[in-house]
Amino acid sequence: MRLVSLRFVYATLIGLVLAGIVHIVAVLAIPVLSEKDAVSRARTSESLDHPQPIYTVATGDDPSPPEAWLPIPDPAVAVGVCAYDLADGPMRVSARTGSLALSLAAHARRGAFYAVTDQAAVRGALDLVILTRAQYDEALADDENDPSRDVRIVAPDTRGFVVVRVIAGLPSQRPAANAAIQAVSCTTDTATDDAPTGKDSSGKGAGR
Amino acid sequence: MSGSHAAASETAPRRGVIRFVRRLWRKSSIAGLAVYALALGGALGLASADWATSGGYPFGGVQVGAWTAWPRAGAANADPYTRAVNARRGEIPLAVGEGLLLTAAVDDAGQALDATCTYRIGGGTPPARAWTITVAGRGPREPGRPILREGFTSTEVLRSADGRFAVMLAPDVQPGNWLPSPRASGPVRLALRLYDTPAAASVGSLDRASVPAITRLGCAS
Repeated sequence: MRLVSLRFVYATLIGLVLAGIVHIVAVLAIPVLSEKDAVSRARTSESLDHPQPIYTVATGDDPSPPEAWLPIPDPAVAVGVCAYDLADGPMRVSARTGSLALSLAAHARRGAFYAVTDQAAVRGALDLVILTRAQYDEALADDENDPSRDVRIVAPDTRGFVVVRVIAGLPSQRPAANAAIQAVSCTTDTATDDAPTGKDSSGKGAGR
Repeated sequence: MSGSHAAASETAPRRGVIRFVRRLWRKSSIAGLAVYALALGGALGLASADWATSGGYPFGGVQVGAWTAWPRAGAANADPYTRAVNARRGEIPLAVGEGLLLTAAVDDAGQALDATCTYRIGGGTPPARAWTITVAGRGPREPGRPILREGFTSTEVLRSADGRFAVMLAPDVQPGNWLPSPRASGPVRLALRLYDTPAAASVGSLDRASVPAITRLGCAS
């Protein structure tokens, strides 16, 4: 009898150790396997040229539309997302600063890897280019002929999204905040566009 | 007499069951124990993982007075539990360069915030370009209740001459900055979001005096 209960204790101990392993594996696997996370949900906006509004602030008597999927949104901040897939080419996010505070943050599966507010804008414009390491090296090579002032950020993954937040300090600024989200443009610098310019750059440089 | 008879007849089958389990137990092989260990490990592991990631962030909070700051919630080096919570909720947390989220579920005395009570949320905030104080209640909104106001922004809040402010969280109408309670009764959670703030990168520099104090003024019984 005692022998059996000892075996039972061993089995329980092994079970607890297994529970610990399963717990760790499950927690690490949730962000990878989740289909409800922000990266997966934002993917519907990949084909758009403008951010997909995911939280439009309530204006007047209109409550926030039900497209909002942020769990606890700030009622005074309009939010839009632009998903990117760098396999299609680098993504360019262009924002014009207005009277409202605007911020851009680039997220990948592991979290935000870059954030910038409109205070960093140069002459009222904020241009980000999100690219992979290989695309970054390519862009650097092109710079020798045709330097650009883009802010380039190397993304850790090929997939992710850029979130645009505009703060409406007063209720009267809320329609403007919703419009400011839509005024941001998110375009993919397609590989077909890049390839000719890359090849022509030497010729262009000579011509000029 | 008849009562003790009934009790004895009740315990007889129970004893039989125990004997049956014992016999089964003695015959249980290594395979049975292995199945037991695997089932225990799987069930406990999955249940604990679900429990740890289903609510708020389990780790990474920095206590500042009654508030808890979450500086690493949106960072790329956030802990795995925070990442799992964000993934399950579809949350897009504020990045360090964007702002800082602080939440409060208790007042300065440590008592849980209750919708039937009146609170004074006052003082100053850490330096920030803009901030909002909102009710981020737990659970759904009551359907019949009109949404009067969900929060204040730094632009619209009424301030005294020295630039400080006092927001009254109360179920009844209050003069000044009245933040209506989100429901008739139950727990309340407050969220203070600081946008474009240097405090996001140095949460350790925040102290009790730099965040709004939450003082309980009274409760409707």
